[in-house]
Amino acid sequence: MAERSFAKEVEDLKIGKGVTFHGEGILAVTKALLESGIAYVGGYQGAPISHLMDVLADADPILSELGIHFEASASEASAAAMLAASVNYPLRGAVTWKSTVGTNVASDALASVASSGVVGGTLIIVGEDYGEGSSIMQERSHAFAMKSQMWLLDPRPNLPSIVRMVKAGFDLSEASNTPVMLELRIRACHMHGSFVAEDNKAPPFGLHEAMENPRRDYDRVVLPPSNFLHEHEKVEKRWPAAVDFIKRNRLNEFLGGATGDVGLIVQGGMYNALNRAMVLLGLADEYGNSEIPIYCLNVTYPLIDDELAGFCADKKAVLVIEEGQPEYLEQNIASILSRRRLATRIHGKDVLPRAGEYTSKTILGGLKAFFAEYPDIGVDDRTDAPMADTALVALKDTVPGRPVGLCTGCPERPVFTALKLVQRKIGPVHVSCDIGCHLFSILPPFNIGNTTMGYGLGWAGASAFNVEAKQRTVAIMGDGGFWHNGLTSGVGNAVFNKNDNVLVIIDNGYSAATGGQDILSSRATNSSRSTNNPISKAIAGLGVKWQRTVETYDIGQMMRTMTEAMTTREKGPKIIIAQNECMLNRQRREKPIRNRMIADGKRVVRARFGVDAETCVGDHGCIRLSGCPSLTIRDNPDPLREDPVAYVNNDCVGCGVCGEVTHAAVLCPSFYRAELIYNANAWDRFAATVRGAIISFLQRLVDRRRARFTLEGASR
Amino acid sequence: MTRRMADRPIKIAIIAMGGQGGGVLSKWIIDLAEQHGFVAQYTSVPGVAQRTGTTVYYVELFPEALIEQAGKQPVMNLTPVEGDVDIVIASEMMEVGRALMRGFATGKTTLIGSSHREYAIIEKQEPGDGRRPTAEIDRIARETAGRYICYDMDSVARENGAVISSVLFGALCASAALPFSREQFEETIRKSGKAVALNLAGLDAGIAAAGGMAEPLPTVASTSALALPDHIDPELAALANDLRAIMPDSAIDLAMAGLGKVVDFQDIAYGREYVERLRQVREADRAAGGQEKGWALTAAMARYLALAMAYEDVLRVADIKTRSGRFETFRADVKADEGQIVHIREFMHPRWQEICEILPAGIGRSMLESRGWNRLTAPLFNKGRRIPTTSLWGFSLLFLLGRMRWMRRGSLRFATEQARIGQWFDMVLALAGDDYSLAIEVAGLQRLIKGYGDTHARSLASFERISRAVPMVAGTENAAALIRKLKSAALTDDEGVSLNEQITQLEIAA
Repeated sequence: MAERSFAKEVEDLKIGKGVTFHGEGILAVTKALLESGIAYVGGYQGAPISHLMDVLADADPILSELGIHFEASASEASAAAMLAASVNYPLRGAVTWKSTVGTNVASDALASVASSGVVGGTLIIVGEDYGEGSSIMQERSHAFAMKSQMWLLDPRPNLPSIVRMVKAGFDLSEASNTPVMLELRIRACHMHGSFVAEDNKAPPFGLHEAMENPRRDYDRVVLPPSNFLHEHEKVEKRWPAAVDFIKRNRLNEFLGGATGDVGLIVQGGMYNALNRAMVLLGLADEYGNSEIPIYCLNVTYPLIDDELAGFCADKKAVLVIEEGQPEYLEQNIASILSRRRLATRIHGKDVLPRAGEYTSKTILGGLKAFFAEYPDIGVDDRTDAPMADTALVALKDTVPGRPVGLCTGCPERPVFTALKLVQRKIGPVHVSCDIGCHLFSILPPFNIGNTTMGYGLGWAGASAFNVEAKQRTVAIMGDGGFWHNGLTSGVGNAVFNKNDNVLVIIDNGYSAATGGQDILSSRATNSSRSTNNPISKAIAGLGVKWQRTVETYDIGQMMRTMTEAMTTREKGPKIIIAQNECMLNRQRREKPIRNRMIADGKRVVRARFGVDAETCVGDHGCIRLSGCPSLTIRDNPDPLREDPVAYVNNDCVGCGVCGEVTHAAVLCPSFYRAELIYNANAWDRFAATVRGAIISFLQRLVDRRRARFTLEGASR
Repeated sequence: MTRRMADRPIKIAIIAMGGQGGGVLSKWIIDLAEQHGFVAQYTSVPGVAQRTGTTVYYVELFPEALIEQAGKQPVMNLTPVEGDVDIVIASEMMEVGRALMRGFATGKTTLIGSSHREYAIIEKQEPGDGRRPTAEIDRIARETAGRYICYDMDSVARENGAVISSVLFGALCASAALPFSREQFEETIRKSGKAVALNLAGLDAGIAAAGGMAEPLPTVASTSALALPDHIDPELAALANDLRAIMPDSAIDLAMAGLGKVVDFQDIAYGREYVERLRQVREADRAAGGQEKGWALTAAMARYLALAMAYEDVLRVADIKTRSGRFETFRADVKADEGQIVHIREFMHPRWQEICEILPAGIGRSMLESRGWNRLTAPLFNKGRRIPTTSLWGFSLLFLLGRMRWMRRGSLRFATEQARIGQWFDMVLALAGDDYSLAIEVAGLQRLIKGYGDTHARSLASFERISRAVPMVAGTENAAALIRKLKSAALTDDEGVSLNEQITQLEIAA
């Protein structure tokens, strides 16, 4: 069960022609897919298209009704390979993933399908995780489009444009027998807007028809001599066909003024930011009306030589607004103009920064620098001046960063607490991390982890350290990464190469970091997927002899197991499966049930933790070993003490890690576990009355004496 | 093509952390606008905020009437632009700071913020006090923003059983930065159909609090006579009045709290020792010209001497855990309902050493040093215990232990502590005449001593390490600054790495 349910929203996917669709970018994309007559769709979750996968999963009944197959692919490579269905058959298909990391994984299959060519339209929707909020290396998907020769769409970020380009993408793909990529930036994926819908279309040719009537054409297989044929086909047939289609259907747009000495060339996805920058410089209005000619590239690969030459011919200079580096567009434009002997000057990365997200403010700076060289057009910066440097410095010194961390009650937290404590005993270890929630261990307060090489690659990232040494290495891998490829690239690799190090697999039952999607080893039942395939069996099948499954909240056991793995004389790969359900998912399931039981008058015991402010000395060792968001600080009630005391806020879900930590690290006696009883039964009440009477009798005795010896309430 | 340069969207940036309902607030704003003649666009980066980070939600509202006149859809932006945001809503004080830092708030901006704190991990994890100050942010916000509404919206929300997003929505309503009436705000909440009554209460409270801002805090007038409750033991009352007589005004509150703590820890006799020591401090302070320095040394020692004398031991923990006041506190802390049954289990990890320490010094020492005893008792003390204080046996155990403070004076730990306190006390007083600031820094070293078990051992080691360095630096010009630097190194890094490096350098130099 995914973190967010779109069960309500997907109902809107059924609306027909002429009705206005309101919703998020990813829902608009799904609707456009349904209107395009696709036969199959697949992908792998990851920001910013996790929700697209969740929407598709929740829309499965609607998809089945139309005869569309949805595959929750094992990895991006599996998803990309699925496009092979469109090589021989007129089947439209779409796949989606997070880019560029997902495109890296998929690129083997992508290169193959791009070489074979397709007869059915294929669309690869990549969510570009670039700029603010991104969690990956900053690279461009553009390079993949160029190297495999796939067309790259980068629509203007408004829903009608995005929907139009999804549909045009399938037509373009079929017209040029080439897979087409559609790039969506993170904020466009989650943008709330509207467009006018069309009717959904069932695929005219079904998957079963292909299965029952297989077709074979050796010319489509990537083996000699067909591979050489493909190379020629790409440049001689498919490319010109694409250029012709893009021109005829005017996928790129000429906006702004018709004539002028200077012009702007912009990626479609950057257009809205550009327009706002122009508004703020008095060069355009909010509707995009401007005297300056703008060539807006909704298709960023291939470039259309004729369109470009036509746009540049009468201009002294153009400014290319292209996010990220290398500046492929700028280089490509320079080469086209040079071949056509046009003297138009090309500006781009000379006035705009090479690195970083292009916000309106960034573009505004670039425009000012550009127009300073061409002063016929006056600009007038209407943004308010920034605050004084002294104030800025004061703020920078004060405002703390907020690194992401593990959720309240997260079962992965005790694993890292244990690893931190074990290192106090056996000395520091090299830790190779993976991708997933567990990677937050690299940040405060754990500060555990030396490298992270990619999804499922945690153990492979430590594979060089396969020699005799006084200390073993530890690798971390999540269950998501394990099934994605860690099973072979990590575990298989370690078994085969007789690795003597340690792997900790965080088995929380979901692909948690991407939004809690089910995976092979999920312990929940799922009617449309096969779950409950344990990791322990898989690694035993690969030949791992030393494996232990440990319940994560038992920090003592976790420490003992880790210490054993790190110090045992036994040779060979050692794997600890740290098992417990993702707390977000668990709470989402259990909380409504518990609330209903309480409302129905049933006896319910809810546990949570607390800290005694009077015995807490404000050392915060517990926080450094836990980092639970609900474990925070507050003013020390003792006026003599200066340091704040620890405090458990009401978000506490009672996982018990803070208590375990105080035991394991022998910290302090301030933590307590409280059990709150709802709808107490007769025995509860009777016992509580008796206990309460005796305890309060004793307390009153002491209270009377203490009242005489306290200065509380004294005033002057 | 006519350009319509005057048409503008309303631009709203919301900076919030996970669980603060930034998404809900955005949704209300969109509904409100869409129902009353605006086109709305909204974007965010989900996922990040939920996992304890902070995120920016961005909303643009465009009047439909203008769109009709223009005959063209507006081009709306997906991220806020520095220096061009009309309304900024920040759900916490550091996020107000972040909004300012990112340049979202300027002279045309209505800045709405909650003054409460949600501490970041880097503030929480420091062994000392890592909390960032908010006064500077408040000042800059006041100077920068066109309109600034800021109060503790978290408390207002909790008092009304509402969520903070509804209070923020109320503050937004009260700011009149949006062209919608109070009734239209209320209607939006009603139409959403979720927790309507509570959200309306939050909205109302949010509006009320925004209107009733800027009331200065009442200041307490200082009087010199000491008013003590009647029920206080006459001996203690006399002692308190003695203390009153010898203390300067600036230190009296701390000294009273200190005396209360020490008597609560042991007895009146122990309190008398505290008062006696403070008398010596005051005299030394006077001799060192403390009057011109605001009696800073006396105030520091009133604080640290009490903390040193009322150290943490098993008897004190047991006593505190069984007090009636503590029972009330934990019920409030875990938010138990009136009359609800609550069971408590303490997470304790008593060690053999701590048991020996409360025994009479001679017996305690020999048992602590005896290998046989240590081996015999090891299995009893090698793991944590969960003591159920709300059960009869658990309560009785701790209650009886808490009554055994008569044993304390003769105990091993008491002897060790008094020796340590004596040395430290003498050092502070000896330094006062020659280097007043250094004496204050040495007094403050007591702040390093914290905790129980391993934590206590580690912090005591830092204290002793720095104490030994004091004679090395005493007499040099920047001695106080050096000790302050060492202390802050010990307070920010519990592994002691940076303290070790700095002291080693010092030792080499000496």
